[in-house]
Amino acid sequence: MSALGHYLEEEGIASVAIALIRPQAEKTRPPRALWVPFELGRPIGPPSDAAFQKRVIRAALGMLVEGGGPVRIKNFPDDDPRESSDRTWHPPIPPPSGHGAEAVEEELRALASAYAASCTRRERTTVGLSGLPPAVCGNYIAAWLRGQRPESPISDMSPALALRFAIDDLKAFALQAALSPGTKPSSQQLGDWLWNETALGDAIQALRRDFLAGDDERLKQLAFFFVPTLRIAPG
Amino acid sequence: MRLEKLPPDYAKRLSELECPDFTTTPWVKGPPLDERRVAIVSSAGLTVRGDRVFRGRDADYRAIPSTTRPNDLLCSHISINFDRNGFQEDWNVVFPLDRLGELAAEGAIGSVAATHYSFMGATDPVQMVDGAKEVAGKLKADHVDAVLLTSV
Repeated sequence: MSALGHYLEEEGIASVAIALIRPQAEKTRPPRALWVPFELGRPIGPPSDAAFQKRVIRAALGMLVEGGGPVRIKNFPDDDPRESSDRTWHPPIPPPSGHGAEAVEEELRALASAYAASCTRRERTTVGLSGLPPAVCGNYIAAWLRGQRPESPISDMSPALALRFAIDDLKAFALQAALSPGTKPSSQQLGDWLWNETALGDAIQALRRDFLAGDDERLKQLAFFFVPTLRIAPG
Repeated sequence: MRLEKLPPDYAKRLSELECPDFTTTPWVKGPPLDERRVAIVSSAGLTVRGDRVFRGRDADYRAIPSTTRPNDLLCSHISINFDRNGFQEDWNVVFPLDRLGELAAEGAIGSVAATHYSFMGATDPVQMVDGAKEVAGKLKADHVDAVLLTSV
């Protein structure tokens, strides 16, 4: 990101980067960067907290009119309050009773009403990378779990690429279903649920293991984009 | 990110990721903030629904008009090692368009750009040079003189 600051500034446009990994900003030496202590994926800080977000943006943009550069890296002082767990939050469905394709399909059906309610309430979904409805994504993943090698359901994507985006969409589907009204779960809570307590998380881990153990180099490469490094199940 | 919160091996890997070695230190000055026109340039692999998603380490970019609604912004970044729940709950966590609009309404900044841009942050930055120059040209045409860069 900081590299883009260099390129834009070389073209005559002032920039300030929000940097999440300070050593990377220090190595890239951008014109200006505000290091923030928030978790990866949250450069502006906590969701649904406009006042906090605005403080971050003001601190960053303020660097545009401060001297002391080139190469200024400042620290934002406050941590993200949403990193704390919300004890009032509960998973949207009970833990699965089984594993594998059928358990995933059953779980997706069980999550459908919570997902629909969340979409209506938030007037938004982040499902859509594959362009397929969640149920079709579920059927596609289930076919892979059953050991089949289905054709791609997306005309201009290989079966493997379609699988990656179908998995991304189903993660988004499940996590959106878990955003229950009036609660503020941390990403840790939501991740614990998805990866430790759902048939979907278990199935994605299984696909990753199978692909890495197989002979298909393309699937092996793909498997690295299924499970976050810190969520990889042992074995 | 407080790297000390991560397992040491993982923190070391993040802090030692290869970064471009720049020999220049460009520094552009400008008018007061309340006269600046601000754009967001993100490396989160953002795409407007219906536009081409980033499929891998693509070196090009996507345009995001200011008229884009939250339901029409997707994150197709290839990395799975960052939180997406924040963006899912509130797009301003990654793409703070509402916040910029409020700052403009309050008079803290001059105005908000008509179009914003996103790259795929996992791409080798050297490959982004041409795209970045193209984006700079488009930003200038929109009279933008301040860019907020957001990564994930």
